[in-house]
Amino acid sequence: MHVVVYLPLLASAALGASGPYLSRRMPPATAVRLLAVGAFVVALATGFTLSVVAFLLLARLPWLARVGHWSAAALQAADPLPALVGPALGIGVVVLAGMAVRGAVQGGRDLWAAQAACRHLRGDAAGLVVVDDARAEAFAVPGITGRVVVSTAMLRALPAPERRVLLAHEASHLRHRHYLYVLAVELAAAANPLLRPLASAIRAGVERWADEDAAALVGDRRVAARALARAGLARAAHRVTPQPPGPLDGLAAVALGVAGSPIITRVQALLAPPPGRRRLLALAVASIVVCAVMASLEVRHDTETAFEHAQTDYHATR
Amino acid sequence: MPLERAARRDRGGLEAEVVAVLAAGDRPLTPAEVQAELGGALAYTTVMTTLARLADKGVLERERSGRAYAYRLVGDASVLTARRMRRLLEAGSDRAGVLARFVAELGPEDGRLLAALLEQPPDPDTPE
Repeated sequence: MHVVVYLPLLASAALGASGPYLSRRMPPATAVRLLAVGAFVVALATGFTLSVVAFLLLARLPWLARVGHWSAAALQAADPLPALVGPALGIGVVVLAGMAVRGAVQGGRDLWAAQAACRHLRGDAAGLVVVDDARAEAFAVPGITGRVVVSTAMLRALPAPERRVLLAHEASHLRHRHYLYVLAVELAAAANPLLRPLASAIRAGVERWADEDAAALVGDRRVAARALARAGLARAAHRVTPQPPGPLDGLAAVALGVAGSPIITRVQALLAPPPGRRRLLALAVASIVVCAVMASLEVRHDTETAFEHAQTDYHATR
Repeated sequence: MPLERAARRDRGGLEAEVVAVLAAGDRPLTPAEVQAELGGALAYTTVMTTLARLADKGVLERERSGRAYAYRLVGDASVLTARRMRRLLEAGSDRAGVLARFVAELGPEDGRLLAALLEQPPDPDTPE
Protein backbone atom coordinates (compact mmCIF):
# COMPACT_ATOMS: atom_id res chain seq x y z
CA MET A 1 0.00 0.00 0.00
CA HIS A 2 1.85 2.97 -1.26
CA VAL A 3 -0.09 4.94 -3.82
CA VAL A 4 -3.43 3.77 -2.47
CA VAL A 5 -2.84 5.59 0.81
CA TYR A 6 -2.83 8.93 -0.96
CA LEU A 7 -6.01 8.32 -2.98
CA PRO A 8 -8.50 9.54 -0.33
CA LEU A 9 -6.41 12.70 0.08
CA LEU A 10 -6.32 13.13 -3.67
CA ALA A 11 -10.08 12.59 -3.85
CA SER A 12 -10.61 15.23 -1.14
CA ALA A 13 -8.46 17.72 -2.99
CA ALA A 14 -10.25 17.00 -6.27
CA LEU A 15 -13.70 17.31 -4.73
CA GLY A 16 -12.78 20.44 -2.79
CA ALA A 17 -11.26 22.13 -5.80
CA SER A 18 -13.96 21.20 -8.30
CA GLY A 19 -16.98 21.45 -5.97
CA PRO A 20 -17.71 25.16 -6.40
CA TYR A 21 -17.52 24.80 -10.20
CA LEU A 22 -19.66 21.64 -10.22
CA SER A 23 -22.32 23.10 -7.98
CA ARG A 24 -22.79 26.00 -10.40
CA ARG A 25 -23.09 23.75 -13.45
CA MET A 26 -25.44 21.04 -12.18
CA PRO A 27 -29.09 21.45 -11.16
CA PRO A 28 -28.80 22.67 -7.56
CA ALA A 29 -30.84 19.84 -6.04
CA THR A 30 -28.56 17.23 -7.63
CA ALA A 31 -25.40 19.19 -6.85
CA VAL A 32 -26.23 19.69 -3.18
CA ARG A 33 -27.27 16.08 -2.58
CA LEU A 34 -24.31 14.62 -4.43
CA LEU A 35 -21.62 16.96 -3.11
CA ALA A 36 -22.78 17.03 0.51
CA VAL A 37 -23.09 13.26 0.77
CA GLY A 38 -19.89 12.84 -1.27
CA ALA A 39 -17.96 15.22 0.97
CA PHE A 40 -19.19 13.45 4.07
CA VAL A 41 -18.20 10.00 2.77
CA VAL A 42 -14.83 11.19 1.48
CA ALA A 43 -14.10 12.84 4.84
CA LEU A 44 -14.87 9.56 6.59
CA ALA A 45 -12.69 7.60 4.16
CA THR A 46 -9.82 10.05 4.55
CA GLY A 47 -10.06 10.09 8.34
CA PHE A 48 -10.18 6.33 8.45
CA THR A 49 -7.20 5.93 6.11
CA LEU A 50 -5.07 8.45 7.98
CA SER A 51 -5.90 6.80 11.33
CA VAL A 52 -4.94 3.39 10.02
CA VAL A 53 -1.66 4.64 8.57
CA ALA A 54 -0.86 6.55 11.76
CA PHE A 55 -1.50 3.43 13.80
CA LEU A 56 0.62 1.33 11.48
CA LEU A 57 3.51 3.75 11.95
CA LEU A 58 3.09 4.03 15.70
CA ALA A 59 2.92 0.23 16.01
CA ARG A 60 6.59 0.14 15.01
CA LEU A 61 7.56 1.70 18.35
CA PRO A 62 9.39 -1.12 20.17
CA TRP A 63 7.34 -1.01 23.40
CA LEU A 64 4.05 -0.97 21.51
CA ALA A 65 5.26 -3.90 19.39
CA ARG A 66 6.05 -5.84 22.57
CA VAL A 67 2.63 -5.11 24.07
CA GLY A 68 0.87 -6.04 20.85
CA HIS A 69 2.94 -9.15 20.17
CA TRP A 70 4.01 -8.18 16.67
CA SER A 71 7.34 -7.70 14.96
CA ALA A 72 8.28 -4.02 14.45
CA ALA A 73 10.77 -4.97 11.74
CA ALA A 74 8.11 -6.80 9.73
CA LEU A 75 5.80 -3.75 9.91
CA GLN A 76 8.66 -1.51 8.78
CA ALA A 77 9.21 -3.74 5.77
CA ALA A 78 5.51 -3.49 4.91
CA ASP A 79 5.51 0.29 4.97
CA PRO A 80 8.77 2.12 4.35
CA LEU A 81 7.63 5.58 5.57
CA PRO A 82 9.94 7.00 8.28
CA ALA A 83 8.71 6.22 11.80
CA LEU A 84 8.77 9.91 12.73
CA VAL A 85 5.79 10.50 10.44
CA GLY A 86 3.73 8.31 12.78
CA PRO A 87 3.42 10.63 15.79
CA ALA A 88 2.94 13.68 13.53
CA LEU A 89 0.18 11.92 11.62
CA GLY A 90 -1.33 10.66 14.87
CA ILE A 91 -1.48 14.17 16.31
CA GLY A 92 -2.96 15.44 13.05
CA VAL A 93 -5.68 12.80 13.07
CA VAL A 94 -6.57 13.55 16.69
CA VAL A 95 -6.73 17.30 16.05
CA LEU A 96 -8.96 16.88 13.00
CA ALA A 97 -11.22 14.42 14.82
CA GLY A 98 -11.46 16.97 17.63
CA MET A 99 -12.48 19.66 15.15
CA ALA A 100 -15.16 17.38 13.71
CA VAL A 101 -16.53 16.60 17.17
CA ARG A 102 -16.55 20.30 18.03
CA GLY A 103 -18.40 21.02 14.78
CA ALA A 104 -20.93 18.27 15.53
CA VAL A 105 -21.56 19.60 19.04
CA GLN A 106 -21.95 23.13 17.73
CA GLY A 107 -24.29 22.04 14.94
CA GLY A 108 -26.33 19.96 17.36
CA ARG A 109 -26.60 22.90 19.75
CA ASP A 110 -27.75 25.22 16.94
CA LEU A 111 -30.35 22.71 15.80
CA TRP A 112 -31.54 22.34 19.37
CA ALA A 113 -31.84 26.13 19.72
CA ALA A 114 -33.76 26.28 16.45
CA GLN A 115 -36.11 23.54 17.60
CA ALA A 116 -36.68 25.38 20.89
CA ALA A 117 -37.41 28.56 18.94
CA CYS A 118 -39.94 26.67 16.78
CA ARG A 119 -41.78 25.54 19.87
CA HIS A 120 -42.08 29.14 21.08
CA LEU A 121 -43.05 30.62 17.73
CA ARG A 122 -46.74 30.18 17.10
CA GLY A 123 -47.25 29.07 13.52
CA ASP A 124 -50.18 30.93 11.98
CA ALA A 125 -50.71 28.66 9.01
CA ALA A 126 -48.48 26.01 7.55
CA GLY A 127 -45.72 27.09 9.92
CA LEU A 128 -45.78 30.74 8.86
CA VAL A 129 -45.01 33.21 11.63
CA VAL A 130 -45.71 36.85 10.81
CA VAL A 131 -43.72 39.28 12.91
CA ASP A 132 -44.81 42.89 13.17
CA ASP A 133 -41.45 44.53 12.50
CA ALA A 134 -40.17 47.46 10.45
CA ARG A 135 -37.13 45.48 9.35
CA ALA A 136 -37.65 43.45 6.21
CA GLU A 137 -36.66 39.94 7.23
CA ALA A 138 -37.54 36.46 6.09
CA PHE A 139 -35.95 33.22 7.17
CA ALA A 140 -36.69 29.58 7.87
CA VAL A 141 -36.11 28.00 11.28
CA PRO A 142 -35.61 24.24 11.03
CA GLY A 143 -37.13 21.89 13.54
CA ILE A 144 -39.43 18.91 13.71
CA THR A 145 -42.19 21.07 12.27
CA GLY A 146 -40.14 24.07 11.22
CA ARG A 147 -41.23 27.69 10.98
CA VAL A 148 -41.02 30.37 8.34
CA VAL A 149 -40.59 33.77 9.96
CA VAL A 150 -41.47 36.80 7.83
CA SER A 151 -41.75 40.39 9.02
CA THR A 152 -44.65 42.61 7.99
CA ALA A 153 -42.15 45.00 6.38
CA MET A 154 -41.00 42.22 4.06
CA LEU A 155 -44.57 41.18 3.21
CA ARG A 156 -45.51 44.78 2.41
CA ALA A 157 -42.46 45.21 0.19
CA LEU A 158 -43.52 42.42 -2.17
CA PRO A 159 -46.51 42.14 -4.52
CA ALA A 160 -48.57 38.94 -4.13
CA PRO A 161 -46.83 36.77 -6.77
CA GLU A 162 -43.42 37.59 -5.30
CA ARG A 163 -44.68 36.94 -1.79
CA ARG A 164 -45.58 33.51 -3.08
CA VAL A 165 -42.00 33.08 -4.31
CA LEU A 166 -40.68 33.95 -0.86
CA LEU A 167 -43.02 31.52 0.91
CA ALA A 168 -42.23 28.75 -1.57
CA HIS A 169 -38.49 29.38 -1.20
CA GLU A 170 -38.56 29.08 2.59
CA ALA A 171 -40.93 26.11 2.48
CA SER A 172 -38.47 24.36 0.17
CA HIS A 173 -35.67 24.86 2.73
CA LEU A 174 -37.77 23.16 5.38
CA ARG A 175 -39.31 20.45 3.21
CA HIS A 176 -35.95 19.26 1.85
CA ARG A 177 -34.18 19.72 5.20
CA HIS A 178 -31.45 21.83 3.66
CA TYR A 179 -29.77 22.47 6.99
CA LEU A 180 -28.79 18.79 7.16
CA TYR A 181 -26.75 19.12 3.96
CA VAL A 182 -25.13 22.30 5.26
CA LEU A 183 -24.30 20.58 8.56
CA ALA A 184 -22.93 17.48 6.83
CA VAL A 185 -20.58 19.47 4.66
CA GLU A 186 -19.53 21.70 7.58
CA LEU A 187 -18.58 18.57 9.53
CA ALA A 188 -16.72 17.14 6.55
CA ALA A 189 -14.83 20.40 6.10
CA ALA A 190 -13.93 20.55 9.79
CA ALA A 191 -12.51 17.04 9.66
CA ASN A 192 -10.81 17.57 6.33
CA PRO A 193 -9.66 21.10 5.42
CA LEU A 194 -9.22 20.06 1.78
CA LEU A 195 -13.01 19.97 1.54
CA ARG A 196 -13.40 23.52 2.91
CA PRO A 197 -14.38 25.14 -0.44
CA LEU A 198 -17.41 22.84 -0.58
CA ALA A 199 -18.98 24.40 2.51
CA SER A 200 -19.74 27.73 0.87
CA ALA A 201 -20.67 25.97 -2.38
CA ILE A 202 -23.32 23.94 -0.54
CA ARG A 203 -24.65 27.00 1.30
CA ALA A 204 -25.03 28.76 -2.04
CA GLY A 205 -26.40 25.53 -3.52
CA VAL A 206 -29.30 25.20 -1.08
CA GLU A 207 -30.34 28.79 -1.81
CA ARG A 208 -30.32 28.02 -5.53
CA TRP A 209 -32.26 24.81 -4.88
CA ALA A 210 -34.96 26.74 -3.01
CA ASP A 211 -34.97 29.41 -5.76
CA GLU A 212 -35.54 26.78 -8.43
CA ASP A 213 -38.35 25.19 -6.39
CA ALA A 214 -40.01 28.58 -5.93
CA ALA A 215 -39.64 29.46 -9.61
CA ALA A 216 -41.16 26.12 -10.59
CA LEU A 217 -44.10 26.67 -8.23
CA VAL A 218 -45.00 30.13 -9.52
CA GLY A 219 -44.19 28.98 -13.05
CA ASP A 220 -42.21 32.12 -13.94
CA ARG A 221 -38.46 32.47 -13.43
CA ARG A 222 -38.56 36.23 -13.96
CA VAL A 223 -41.06 36.70 -11.13
CA ALA A 224 -38.75 34.70 -8.88
CA ALA A 225 -35.78 36.86 -9.91
CA ARG A 226 -37.74 40.04 -9.22
CA ALA A 227 -38.80 38.73 -5.81
CA LEU A 228 -35.15 38.26 -4.88
CA ALA A 229 -34.26 41.73 -6.13
CA ARG A 230 -37.10 43.42 -4.27
CA ALA A 231 -36.48 41.49 -1.05
CA GLY A 232 -32.77 42.30 -1.21
CA LEU A 233 -33.48 46.00 -1.64
CA ALA A 234 -36.11 45.93 1.11
CA ARG A 235 -33.65 44.35 3.54
CA ALA A 236 -31.02 46.93 2.69
CA ALA A 237 -33.52 49.82 2.80
CA HIS A 238 -33.16 50.62 6.47
CA ARG A 239 -29.39 50.55 6.31
CA VAL A 240 -28.50 52.41 3.13
CA THR A 241 -30.73 54.40 0.84
CA PRO A 242 -30.71 52.63 -2.52
CA GLN A 243 -29.06 54.66 -5.24
CA PRO A 244 -30.96 55.29 -8.47
CA PRO A 245 -29.80 53.06 -11.30
CA GLY A 246 -27.19 54.63 -13.57
CA PRO A 247 -27.67 54.79 -17.33
CA LEU A 248 -25.26 51.94 -18.04
CA ASP A 249 -26.67 49.55 -15.49
CA GLY A 250 -29.67 47.45 -16.05
CA LEU A 251 -30.84 44.04 -16.84
CA ALA A 252 -27.98 43.57 -19.29
CA ALA A 253 -25.42 44.16 -16.57
CA VAL A 254 -27.15 41.66 -14.29
CA ALA A 255 -27.61 39.09 -17.03
CA LEU A 256 -24.05 39.37 -18.30
CA GLY A 257 -22.59 38.71 -14.90
CA VAL A 258 -20.82 41.94 -14.09
CA ALA A 259 -20.96 41.34 -10.36
CA GLY A 260 -20.39 38.06 -8.60
CA SER A 261 -22.03 38.61 -5.23
CA PRO A 262 -24.35 35.85 -3.96
CA ILE A 263 -27.66 37.56 -4.65
CA ILE A 264 -26.62 38.70 -8.14
CA THR A 265 -25.51 35.15 -8.92
CA ARG A 266 -28.89 33.84 -7.84
CA VAL A 267 -30.78 36.44 -9.85
CA GLN A 268 -28.63 35.68 -12.92
CA ALA A 269 -29.33 31.97 -12.57
CA LEU A 270 -33.07 32.65 -12.48
CA LEU A 271 -32.90 34.90 -15.53
CA ALA A 272 -31.08 32.13 -17.41
CA PRO A 273 -32.83 28.91 -18.44
CA PRO A 274 -32.82 26.15 -15.79
CA PRO A 275 -29.56 24.16 -15.73
CA GLY A 276 -29.35 20.91 -17.68
CA ARG A 277 -28.95 17.54 -16.03
CA ARG A 278 -25.19 17.08 -16.57
CA ARG A 279 -25.12 13.34 -16.01
CA LEU A 280 -21.39 13.11 -16.82
CA LEU A 281 -20.46 15.61 -14.11
CA ALA A 282 -22.58 13.70 -11.59
CA LEU A 283 -20.88 10.49 -12.66
CA ALA A 284 -17.45 12.10 -12.20
CA VAL A 285 -18.29 13.14 -8.63
CA ALA A 286 -19.63 9.69 -7.84
CA SER A 287 -16.49 8.02 -9.16
CA ILE A 288 -14.24 10.28 -7.08
CA VAL A 289 -16.19 9.26 -3.98
CA VAL A 290 -16.13 5.57 -4.88
CA CYS A 291 -12.38 5.82 -5.50
CA ALA A 292 -11.80 7.21 -2.01
CA VAL A 293 -13.93 4.51 -0.39
CA MET A 294 -12.27 1.69 -2.34
CA ALA A 295 -8.83 3.05 -1.44
CA SER A 296 -9.65 3.17 2.25
CA LEU A 297 -10.96 -0.40 2.13
CA GLU A 298 -7.78 -1.46 0.36
CA VAL A 299 -5.67 0.24 3.03
CA ARG A 300 -7.64 -1.59 5.69
CA HIS A 301 -7.04 -4.91 3.96
CA ASP A 302 -3.31 -4.25 3.49
CA THR A 303 -2.89 -3.21 7.10
CA GLU A 304 -4.62 -6.33 8.34
CA THR A 305 -2.30 -8.47 6.22
CA ALA A 306 0.76 -6.56 7.47
CA PHE A 307 -0.24 -7.14 11.09
CA GLU A 308 -0.91 -10.81 10.48
CA HIS A 309 2.60 -11.21 9.05
CA ALA A 310 4.14 -9.18 11.85
CA GLN A 311 2.44 -11.34 14.47
CA THR A 312 3.56 -14.55 12.75
CA ASP A 313 7.11 -13.16 12.66
CA TYR A 314 6.98 -12.21 16.31
CA HIS A 315 5.95 -15.68 17.41
CA ALA A 316 8.47 -17.32 15.04
CA THR A 317 11.41 -15.41 16.54
CA ARG A 318 10.54 -16.37 20.10
CA MET B 1 -49.93 27.02 -18.92
CA PRO B 2 -49.77 29.85 -16.36
CA LEU B 3 -53.31 29.01 -15.27
CA GLU B 4 -52.35 25.40 -14.79
CA ARG B 5 -49.33 26.42 -12.74
CA ALA B 6 -51.31 28.86 -10.64
CA ALA B 7 -53.60 26.05 -9.61
CA ARG B 8 -50.67 24.14 -8.13
CA ARG B 9 -51.26 25.28 -4.58
CA ASP B 10 -51.48 22.82 -1.77
CA ARG B 11 -53.61 23.58 1.25
CA GLY B 12 -50.71 24.58 3.52
CA GLY B 13 -49.20 26.82 0.87
CA LEU B 14 -52.51 28.53 0.23
CA GLU B 15 -53.11 29.12 3.94
CA ALA B 16 -49.67 30.70 4.26
CA GLU B 17 -50.37 32.92 1.24
CA VAL B 18 -53.69 34.05 2.65
CA VAL B 19 -52.09 34.89 6.00
CA ALA B 20 -49.33 36.78 4.16
CA VAL B 21 -51.90 38.83 2.20
CA LEU B 22 -53.79 39.78 5.36
CA ALA B 23 -50.57 40.61 7.21
CA ALA B 24 -49.41 42.86 4.38
CA GLY B 25 -52.72 44.73 4.27
CA ASP B 26 -53.40 47.42 6.83
CA ARG B 27 -57.13 46.75 7.15
CA PRO B 28 -59.45 43.71 7.22
CA LEU B 29 -60.04 42.21 3.77
CA THR B 30 -63.11 40.51 2.33
CA PRO B 31 -62.78 37.15 0.54
CA ALA B 32 -63.20 38.96 -2.79
CA GLU B 33 -60.32 41.29 -1.99
CA VAL B 34 -58.11 38.41 -0.91
CA GLN B 35 -58.99 36.57 -4.11
CA ALA B 36 -58.14 39.62 -6.23
CA GLU B 37 -54.84 40.05 -4.41
CA LEU B 38 -53.85 36.39 -4.83
CA GLY B 39 -54.83 36.45 -8.48
CA GLY B 40 -54.49 33.48 -10.78
CA ALA B 41 -57.08 30.81 -11.18
CA LEU B 42 -58.15 30.59 -7.54
CA ALA B 43 -61.87 30.03 -7.14
CA TYR B 44 -63.78 32.34 -4.83
CA THR B 45 -65.09 29.38 -2.86
CA THR B 46 -61.53 28.08 -2.34
CA VAL B 47 -60.51 31.42 -0.88
CA MET B 48 -63.61 31.57 1.27
CA THR B 49 -63.09 28.03 2.58
CA THR B 50 -59.48 28.79 3.41
CA LEU B 51 -60.41 31.98 5.27
CA ALA B 52 -63.10 30.15 7.23
CA ARG B 53 -60.71 27.35 8.12
CA LEU B 54 -58.08 29.81 9.36
CA ALA B 55 -60.75 31.61 11.38
CA ASP B 56 -61.77 28.30 12.95
CA LYS B 57 -58.15 27.69 13.90
CA GLY B 58 -58.09 31.06 15.64
CA VAL B 59 -55.54 32.51 13.25
CA LEU B 60 -57.99 35.03 11.78
CA GLU B 61 -60.82 37.13 13.20
CA ARG B 62 -63.81 38.13 11.12
CA GLU B 63 -66.11 41.08 11.30
CA ARG B 64 -69.16 42.12 9.30
CA SER B 65 -68.39 44.30 6.34
CA GLY B 66 -71.58 45.01 4.44
CA ARG B 67 -72.98 41.72 3.19
CA ALA B 68 -69.76 39.74 3.61
CA TYR B 69 -67.25 39.10 6.35
CA ALA B 70 -63.90 40.83 6.40
CA TYR B 71 -60.92 38.99 7.87
CA ARG B 72 -57.83 40.12 9.66
CA LEU B 73 -54.95 38.46 11.46
CA VAL B 74 -55.47 37.93 15.18
CA GLY B 75 -53.12 40.27 16.99
CA ASP B 76 -50.97 38.24 19.35
CA ALA B 77 -48.00 39.03 21.53
CA SER B 78 -46.18 40.12 18.41
CA VAL B 79 -43.84 42.43 20.32
CA LEU B 80 -42.61 39.34 22.10
CA THR B 81 -42.33 37.50 18.80
CA ALA B 82 -40.40 40.40 17.27
CA ARG B 83 -37.99 40.39 20.17
CA ARG B 84 -37.62 36.65 19.80
CA MET B 85 -36.93 37.06 16.09
CA ARG B 86 -34.20 39.62 16.74
CA ARG B 87 -32.68 37.41 19.37
CA LEU B 88 -32.67 34.50 16.95
CA LEU B 89 -30.94 36.58 14.33
CA GLU B 90 -28.50 38.38 16.57
CA ALA B 91 -27.55 35.87 19.25
CA GLY B 92 -24.89 34.47 16.98
CA SER B 93 -26.72 31.21 17.46
CA ASP B 94 -26.33 30.52 13.78
CA ARG B 95 -22.71 29.50 13.46
CA ALA B 96 -23.66 26.31 11.67
CA GLY B 97 -25.91 28.17 9.25
CA VAL B 98 -29.11 26.63 10.50
CA LEU B 99 -31.30 29.67 9.84
CA ALA B 100 -31.93 30.07 6.13
CA ARG B 101 -32.44 33.71 5.18
CA PHE B 102 -34.30 34.54 2.00
CA VAL B 103 -31.69 37.06 0.93
CA ALA B 104 -28.26 37.82 2.38
CA GLU B 105 -26.66 41.22 2.89
CA LEU B 106 -26.22 43.17 -0.31
CA GLY B 107 -22.79 44.03 -1.65
CA PRO B 108 -21.97 47.66 -2.48
CA GLU B 109 -22.93 47.42 -6.16
CA ASP B 110 -25.85 45.04 -5.70
CA GLY B 111 -28.40 47.71 -4.82
CA ARG B 112 -27.92 49.53 -8.10
CA LEU B 113 -28.08 46.35 -10.19
CA LEU B 114 -31.19 45.03 -8.46
CA ALA B 115 -32.97 48.38 -8.67
CA ALA B 116 -32.14 48.44 -12.38
CA LEU B 117 -33.61 44.98 -12.80
CA LEU B 118 -36.87 46.10 -11.22
CA GLU B 119 -36.99 49.13 -13.54
CA GLN B 120 -37.38 46.73 -16.45
CA PRO B 121 -40.90 45.75 -17.51
CA PRO B 122 -41.84 42.43 -15.86
CA ASP B 123 -42.02 40.53 -19.10
CA PRO B 124 -40.83 42.24 -22.29
CA ASP B 125 -41.96 39.37 -24.54
CA THR B 126 -45.58 39.32 -23.51
CA PRO B 127 -46.63 42.66 -22.03
CA GLU B 128 -49.41 42.18 -19.51
